[in-house]
Amino acid sequence: MVANINEIQSAAAALLNEGKVKLVLGYRVRGNDRVPAFVTQADQVGCLAYDSACTQNLAAYLRKGEVRSRMPLAVVARPEVMRSLMLLTAESQIAEGQVTVLAVDEQGFHGVLDLAGTAKLLNEQYARIAPDSSLMEQLAKIEAMTPQERSAFWSEQFEPCTRCYACRAACPGCFCERCIVEMNTPQWISTAAESHGNFAWHMIRAFHQAGRCVECGACQDACPQGIPLMLLNHFIAREVEREFDARNGYDPQAEPVIGSWKQDDKQEYIR
Amino acid sequence: MTQATTQTETKAEGFEPRIVAFVCNWCTYAGADLAGTSRLQYAPHVRIVKLPCTGRIDPLFILKAYEGGADAVLVSGCHPGDCHYTSGNYHARRRWTIFRRLLSLAGVEEGRLFFSWVSAAEGQKFADLINDVTAQVKAAGPFKHNPARRQAW
Repeated sequence: MVANINEIQSAAAALLNEGKVKLVLGYRVRGNDRVPAFVTQADQVGCLAYDSACTQNLAAYLRKGEVRSRMPLAVVARPEVMRSLMLLTAESQIAEGQVTVLAVDEQGFHGVLDLAGTAKLLNEQYARIAPDSSLMEQLAKIEAMTPQERSAFWSEQFEPCTRCYACRAACPGCFCERCIVEMNTPQWISTAAESHGNFAWHMIRAFHQAGRCVECGACQDACPQGIPLMLLNHFIAREVEREFDARNGYDPQAEPVIGSWKQDDKQEYIR
Repeated sequence: MTQATTQTETKAEGFEPRIVAFVCNWCTYAGADLAGTSRLQYAPHVRIVKLPCTGRIDPLFILKAYEGGADAVLVSGCHPGDCHYTSGNYHARRRWTIFRRLLSLAGVEEGRLFFSWVSAAEGQKFADLINDVTAQVKAAGPFKHNPARRQAW
């Protein structure tokens, strides 16, 4: 399932030649891996590749100074990455005109779009990306457990975590310049070389994804210990949709879910 | 915070729960103050942490309380519409809605996390709330499967 790579390459070359972008963020092949490619010259576009193994979310690079200084730029983006771009627009991290999208999906290349065009394409073609059914099954199983079993289940899942924060680095939604894990007065997340602190980290990481996660899966792919982060992400996304009728990354003008409120938000649990 | 945590586990009978309450300065703390000046008797198990506003209560505070061995956490502030800073409690309410669901998924059951609105005039409500929460936590016993607690190596 390789997208028509010649089309991507020639579109990237045209953007660079016309001076519309200074950088094209895409993928290239290195051995069995797909790694990010940072193309600044039209004669380098030959390295660009795209297939279903390109799972990294390139929108995560948009918070880096080295990348931001090369705006405007173009990003090779599958639907989840497009949603990340919508989210970053909604959260005032990128502005219209700074980012051009080279839209791809499993079927192929869908042209060069600006952010408004991307929003239209997303809502027309990818409005309902079906959630992974195995995730939903696993969640249902966990929810059927007793609290004691759930506690034991997650302790076991979090146990191998070394708090390398690769999940944070891979996520375009984690764009805080100073993350709580770098704060040490007080030390919110333990830095001890043991499992204490894992629970707090995974809870707060998942919670900070409320209203942000586009379920691209980049954090779970980045995790060297194979922790099922998507279970938490999918749960949070599902709850946000149920409670606040919000789906992340479809509306570039959307108010942040956790940064906004309504007078009639539900509160049946507050006495 | 972590050194005093073994006490609750060893004393199952005659269990005195450790409850941490995060309250706002303007309503619930004033309500607690009213309960005190009115000489209302209520259970002594709640450690109150006063913050300017419920909007200031980061979910990290709740996690930190559990890490430190709290058997339950209570979060309380001004009724909707009464926030001293206009909307702090509305912001907080959104966070709580998601965060409590997440904690529930992670194994923190109902009865370990409480939310309430208590105004500065509701001294009686505060005393009743503390009594009720304490009774519930006492009945539930020590929070043995607390997933945030430091595990023995």
